Amino acid sequence: MLTPERLLHRRGRTATALFAAGGLLAGSAVIGLLPTIAGASSHREAPLIAADPAVDNTDVYAFSSPKTSDDVVFVANWIPFEEPNGGPNFYPWADDAEYLINIDNNGDARADIIYRWRFTTDDQRDSKTFLYNTGPVDSLTDPDLKFRQSFTLDVSTDGGASYGNPIATGPVTPSYTGHASMGSAQDYIHNLRTPAITDTAGGGKTLATQADDSFFLDLRVFDLLYGGNLSETGHDTLAGYNVNSIVLEVPKSQVAIGNDPAANPVIGVWSTTTRPTLRNADGSSADSGFTQVSRLGQPLINEVVVPTGLKDAFNAISPDQDATAAGGAVVDRVLDPEVARLLNSIYGIPVPAPPRYDIFEVFLTGIVSNAKVDVDGNPGTDNPINVDLNSQALNAGAATFQPSEMLRLNMSVTGPTGLDMKPLAKASRLGVIGGDIQGFPNGRRLADDVVDIELLALAGADDANNLGTAAPLANGDGVSRNDHEFSDEFPYLAGPNTEAVNQADGRGGAEHGAAIIPGGSASSGGVAGTLIPALTGGAALLLLTAGGVSLVRTRSVTRQASAAPEV
Amino acid sequence: MGVIAPEDLSTRRPAERRSGSRRTAVSSVAVGVLLLVASVAGFYTVAFDQQTVVAREEVAQPTVAPLERAIRTAQTRLKGVPGDYATWAQLGSAYVEEARVTADPTYYQKADGALQKSLALHPEGNDAALTGQGALANARHDFAAGADAATRSLAVNPYGATAWGVLTDARTQLGDYAGATEALHRMLELKPGIASFTRASYDAELHGDVTAARSALQQALGLAAGASEAYCRTYLGALAFSVGNLDEAETQYAAGLKSAPDDPTLKLGQARVLAARGDVEAAVESYQAAVDARPLVENFVEYGEYLESLGRSAAAEQQYALVKTVRQLFIANGVNDDLSTALFAADHHDPTTAVAAAQAEYGRRQNIDAQDALAWALHSAGRDAEALPLARQATSIGGRNALFLYHRGAIEAALGMREQARSTLTVALDTNPWFSPLLAPRASALLTSLGGRS
Repeated sequence: MLTPERLLHRRGRTATALFAAGGLLAGSAVIGLLPTIAGASSHREAPLIAADPAVDNTDVYAFSSPKTSDDVVFVANWIPFEEPNGGPNFYPWADDAEYLINIDNNGDARADIIYRWRFTTDDQRDSKTFLYNTGPVDSLTDPDLKFRQSFTLDVSTDGGASYGNPIATGPVTPSYTGHASMGSAQDYIHNLRTPAITDTAGGGKTLATQADDSFFLDLRVFDLLYGGNLSETGHDTLAGYNVNSIVLEVPKSQVAIGNDPAANPVIGVWSTTTRPTLRNADGSSADSGFTQVSRLGQPLINEVVVPTGLKDAFNAISPDQDATAAGGAVVDRVLDPEVARLLNSIYGIPVPAPPRYDIFEVFLTGIVSNAKVDVDGNPGTDNPINVDLNSQALNAGAATFQPSEMLRLNMSVTGPTGLDMKPLAKASRLGVIGGDIQGFPNGRRLADDVVDIELLALAGADDANNLGTAAPLANGDGVSRNDHEFSDEFPYLAGPNTEAVNQADGRGGAEHGAAIIPGGSASSGGVAGTLIPALTGGAALLLLTAGGVSLVRTRSVTRQASAAPEV
Repeated sequence: MGVIAPEDLSTRRPAERRSGSRRTAVSSVAVGVLLLVASVAGFYTVAFDQQTVVAREEVAQPTVAPLERAIRTAQTRLKGVPGDYATWAQLGSAYVEEARVTADPTYYQKADGALQKSLALHPEGNDAALTGQGALANARHDFAAGADAATRSLAVNPYGATAWGVLTDARTQLGDYAGATEALHRMLELKPGIASFTRASYDAELHGDVTAARSALQQALGLAAGASEAYCRTYLGALAFSVGNLDEAETQYAAGLKSAPDDPTLKLGQARVLAARGDVEAAVESYQAAVDARPLVENFVEYGEYLESLGRSAAAEQQYALVKTVRQLFIANGVNDDLSTALFAADHHDPTTAVAAAQAEYGRRQNIDAQDALAWALHSAGRDAEALPLARQATSIGGRNALFLYHRGAIEAALGMREQARSTLTVALDTNPWFSPLLAPRASALLTSLGGRS
C-alpha cells in the first residue's frame, strides 16, 4: 500500500517540498510522488538504444603466410573489450548473424569472393543453470561443456547472391570461462583451440576462437581530439582483454583473379557483419533476409569519419558506394583529415596542406603510380607516392578501377622486404614507413604498429629514420607491441587472457585507460550501439590515414636528400 | 542414491558382526557396497565441489545491466576527459533510456544536462546529441520538438538508425502515420533489431495487421534480454488481449513475469486478464501492485474503474482521488497529461474540464488518441455532431480498438444513428468483449437497448 513516507522517499526533493508546503497534498490518504512522465496513456515507449557488440568488427588483417608462401592469411576480430572474467554471459557468436570476409581482386570495388561464417548454438543448459560448463572442460566434446557453438563456412563468387556448399564445418573454441573450468591459456590452446582448427575444401584451414586482442595502442593518445594532448602514452589500453577471432588461411590462387596470383597479386579485403531483417509473418523475407550493420577494412577508417556522423554511413554501405554516398563525404574526409589539422594546431607540426592525395592513395586506391591510377585526376602530376605497390590496378586481369576503402595486400611480397626489394632480416613494425614494404598499409600483419604509422603519415612523414618536423611524434602512442607474442604458425594469434582486467571492487578498468573510447563509438556508430565500451580497430581512433605515407621508391629513383613531406 | 555412512555399520551390535561366514560374506558385500556408494558419493561431492568453483568463477562479475554499466563507464570517462562531447551525448541518451526502463523522471534532467554539455562542446554537426534531445523531447511528450531534433540530426547523419526511430515515434504521436511508416522503413533498413522490430509491431497494430504485429514482436523477443524482454512480453500480451484472446495474453504475461516477477507493466496486463476471467481478488492484488509501482493517472483510473465495476464505490473513489492528486503533481512538475485528464473527466461528469484538456491536446497533435479523446470529451458535453467526425477519424486507419469503437458507437447512438451504432458496438464487443470492466458492460447494455447485435 502506498504511504506518503514511502513515496516521498523514492521521489525526492520536489515531492517533499510540496508535502511540506502542506498544500493540496495535506490530508490525502496517499501522497502522490512525482509522477513519472514516462508511460502516459497510449504512448508506448519502445526500447531505443540497444548495443550489439556481437556484430562489432574490431580489426581485419591480411598477410602472406609466414611458413607457407603459397598461402594468404586473413584474421578478422569481433566484440572488443572481452573481460576474461566475463561470466555469466561470456561472448558467444551471434547465431543469426553472418560474419563475412570480402575480397575484391579486380579493383571494381565489388566483392568477387565472399567467405561467410555462420554459427549455430547447442545450448544444453537446463533451466536450473546458466553455467556454460558444469565442471572442468578438457575437450571440445567434454560433457561438462554445456554451451557449445559450431560454424559453417561457405563461399560466394557472385557478390553474395548465392553461396556454394560449405567448404568447412567444425566446432567453435568456446569463451574462456576460468581456471577451474579450462585451466591455463596453454591448456585452452591445447585442449580447445588446436582441436578446433578445421581444414577447408581447396587446401586451407580455418578457426573461430577467442583470443587475446591482437590490437595494441594507447587510446589516450586520441584524447587530443577532446582537448587532451599526447602526454598520456605508453599503456596498451587493450592489454588483458580478449576478442573473438576468425582466422582463415587459403592458397593465394583461391583469391586471385583467374587463380593466378603471379599475374594478379593484389587483393582488397574488408570484413562485414549482417543481421536478419524483419521477416514477414509467414517467415519469408522480402529481400536477401540480411542487412549489413558493420564494416571494416583499414584499421582507422571509421575514425576518419568520426565524429562527423559518417560512421553510420560507412557501416551501412559497400565499397562501391564510397565515392558517392552521403554526397561524397567519405572522400572529402580522406582528402582533408581532421587529425592532421589538430597535429598542426596543437604541436605546431607542419603538415601537408589538403587535398591529401597521399592519404587518398593509401586509403582508396592502394599505393600506385600515376600511370596506373591517377589519384588527383591530373595526368601531368605524379601520384604523391608514385610507386606500384598494392593497387588492384596492377593486376593483369584488372577491371576498370573504382577507388574505395579497403585493406589492400600485394600477395607477392612474401617476407619482410626493404625499399630496395631485398629481403630484410627482421620485419619493421612501422611497415612501409619503416622501410619494410611487406607491412602496413600493404596488407596488415599482426605486429604492424598501425597507430604510430598513421600518426607519422598524417604528419606527412615518409621515413621513420628521418622524421624531421614530425620528430615530436617519434614515440607515437608509446605502445609498439602487443602484450602477448604472436606466433608464426596457424592460427598466429596469442592465446586468451585468463586474468580479470576489472577487479570486483572496480579497480582495474580505470588503470587501463578506461574501457571507453574517446568518441565512444563502436563501428555501428551513432548513439545506438555505442553504449557498451567498444573499441574497433579504429573506433575512437580519430586519426585518419591508413598509414604508410611513405616515399617508397622504386630502385630507379633516388631518395630525396631532405625529409620534406611529400605532397 | 543413498549414502551409507560408515557409522551405520559401527552401530551394529558386535554379535551380529561376528556370526558366521555367511554373515561375513554379507558383511564384505555390504562393505563393498558401502565403498562403492561412498566412492560414488565422493564422486558426486567432488563434482559438485567443482561445479561450485566453476559457478563461482563464472559469476565473478557482478551482473550489472548493460545500460547501468555503460552509464558508470561514461561517467568515469568524463571525469578524466571532460571534453569528450561524444561520450556526453551517449550519456544523455543513456539517461533517457534509463528513465524509460525505471520510470524515474529525475533522469530526464540529467539527460538534459549531459546533452546540453555535449552541444556546448561541439555545437555543429553533433548528430548524436541532437538524436538524444529528440528522444528526450518525445519522452516528455513534446513530439513536435522530438520530430524537429530528429530531422536536424538526420540532416547531419542520414544513416542514423536511432534518429529515424525518434522520428518514427514523434510522427506516430503527431498523427503523421504515413511519415511514421516511412521513417520506420529507413530504421529497419539500417538496423534490424529490437528497437526497429518493436516499432514495426506497433505500426502494424495501428493499421490493423495483428498477425504482422505479433510476428515482429516475436522476432524482437528472440533477440531480447532483460528489460526489453519484458517489453516484448508486455506487448505480445496486450496484442492478444486487444483481440480478446485471454489464454494467449495470460501465457505471455506469465512468461514475462517468470523472468521479471515485479515488472509493473506485466502485472498490469495480468490484472486485466484476471479481471476478465472474474478472478476478483487476484485481479485486485495485481492492480494494486501495478499502481504501487507505477502511480500514473491512467493506472489509477483503470484500477478505480475496475473497483467501481465490482460495486466497491468507496475504494474506487479513493483511486479517483489519487487521480486528481497525481494530475496536480504533474502540473507542478511542468507536465500536462491532457489525454488522461480528458478521458477521466469525460467519464466522471466533468465535461468542461474534459473538453478543455482534449482541445489542448488536439492542438498539439492530431493522432488517433487525441482524436478519440476530443470526440469523447465533446460527447460528454452533449456535442455529438462535432464528436462524430473525430470518432470516425480515430477508427479509420485500420486498427480495431474496442474502446475507440465503443466511443464511436455511443456517439452514433446519441445522434440517433441506430443501425450504424448497433454495427459499431457489435464490432467493438466482437473485437474484445473485455476491453474495460466498467465500460464493456455499458457498451453491451447500450447495444441491447438499441436492439441487440447486428
